[in-house]
Amino acid sequence: MPRILGKIIAFGATFAVLAAACGGAAAPSPTVAPTGAATATAVAKPKFELASYQYAIQTKGKMRVGTREDNVPFGRKDPATGKFEGFDVDVVREFTKAIFGAEANADPDKFIEYVPVVSATRIPTLTDNKADLIAATFTINDERLKQIDFSTVYFRTGQKILVKKTTTNINSVTDLNGKTVCTAKGSTSEQNVTKQAKDAKLLLLDTYAPCLLALQQGQADAVSTDETILFGLVKQDPNTKIVGAYFSDEPYGIGVRKDRVGFVPFLNGVIAAMVADGRWAALYKKHITPVSGDVKDGPHDKGRPSS
Amino acid sequence: MPGGILLEFPELFFTGLWLTIQLSVLGFAGALAAGTAVALFRISPVPPLRWLGAAFVEFFRNTPLLVQLFFLFFGPIRFSGDTFENIFRAGAIGMAMYHGAYVAEVIRGGLIGIDKGQVEAARSLGLSYLQTLRHVQLPQTFRATIPPLGNIGIALIKNTSLASTIGVAELLQAAEIVESRTFRAEEAFGAAVLLYLLLTLPSSVGVNWLERRLLIAR
Repeated sequence: MPRILGKIIAFGATFAVLAAACGGAAAPSPTVAPTGAATATAVAKPKFELASYQYAIQTKGKMRVGTREDNVPFGRKDPATGKFEGFDVDVVREFTKAIFGAEANADPDKFIEYVPVVSATRIPTLTDNKADLIAATFTINDERLKQIDFSTVYFRTGQKILVKKTTTNINSVTDLNGKTVCTAKGSTSEQNVTKQAKDAKLLLLDTYAPCLLALQQGQADAVSTDETILFGLVKQDPNTKIVGAYFSDEPYGIGVRKDRVGFVPFLNGVIAAMVADGRWAALYKKHITPVSGDVKDGPHDKGRPSS
Repeated sequence: MPGGILLEFPELFFTGLWLTIQLSVLGFAGALAAGTAVALFRISPVPPLRWLGAAFVEFFRNTPLLVQLFFLFFGPIRFSGDTFENIFRAGAIGMAMYHGAYVAEVIRGGLIGIDKGQVEAARSLGLSYLQTLRHVQLPQTFRATIPPLGNIGIALIKNTSLASTIGVAELLQAAEIVESRTFRAEEAFGAAVLLYLLLTLPSSVGVNWLERRLLIAR
């Protein structure tokens, strides 16, 4: 008899502890958290409306972030440390700080669960509820806006042309007529070239590394895609140069599933604050300046309506 | 309805299909020629030729076709000054070499399978080594190996899709371009499946017909 009683007591105690732990994470009231440290965290935690998605994330204790593992300088998983780094990743860390407060300031990655994505899996990852947001050089366009929501523009770039340093007869997109231009399959880059240089001959490969090789070997006269990707290629091969003006507009936004109440305005607020207080400029200097050589203080959104 | 998208992008799909047909026909003709030559090397009485034949088979059979294509594309050899001619030729040569290794083994098997007595009879009738091959051994071999050669041919048609990775705008690449323009993946790749079946199913029927017409009953 006493042994059974002991078991019941043990079970009851375990249940009570579990209930307290769950309650501590779920309920906003700090009464169930007895220790001083926990109370301090609760105070430093931002308060959100109960219906909002950021409140749901705060309650869960983790934010699921879809990003790329191989896209320097925006999202990259360091093979040595296993840590993610890049412009997109640091923007996401700022979101985490805004949701989880003081505790996230020290180690934002503690509150992030990374979900690796590639171009084609970005929308399905959101619609299948495998991630709370996607930060992966995600160009906002009308076709995608039918399926998901986007934040305001947090980074803006456009398509340019990469040629060998010795090339002098390609200086703008119209010069690509009659030339062999390499670009990656499954991107908008191919369509942008086709639209503006009808007679360009397109060599379509899987990624930009073989395109660079084709350029080096003279099998392609030029490579064309978003300038930020070309920066990375110039870094790999200093015998190449970027020429011409932007001939497409690529506004990057944070992708969010359509039914997330209040989440997009919240993200927009954080992005605006980052631009206003200089955090955005610092991230640009940290990740983009080493490859581009220039400095910027904001994405310079040219008037896409902020939702 | 997967067929509908074919009519929206007929130029992309049908020029892709035409390139796939060209790659398949040239590739298979090359594979038969290379394979037969290598098989003859492998059964030749001259040891260095046998080694050469074995080396060909082992090299092309034991490395991935994709890697061979990359090597033909990015390697030191150029097949033409024009980029698109170059990648097409690289694709066709890759198909011929890789499948040629399999053809060589099939044909060698067929040649070995012929009764030694026939060769001895031919030689004692005064036919030379080459005449014996030409008039006695090879005709029987080709007829006996139609089913496995048909297998290789159909595999080759499907494997031409790998040429899309070196930039050949064949059927798979056409489907990929349509997919990236429309975001309608099921339809674009569904159309590609239909067109591949349009090539492979008649090939199967053709192989069966040839088999019935020519196969020797043993």
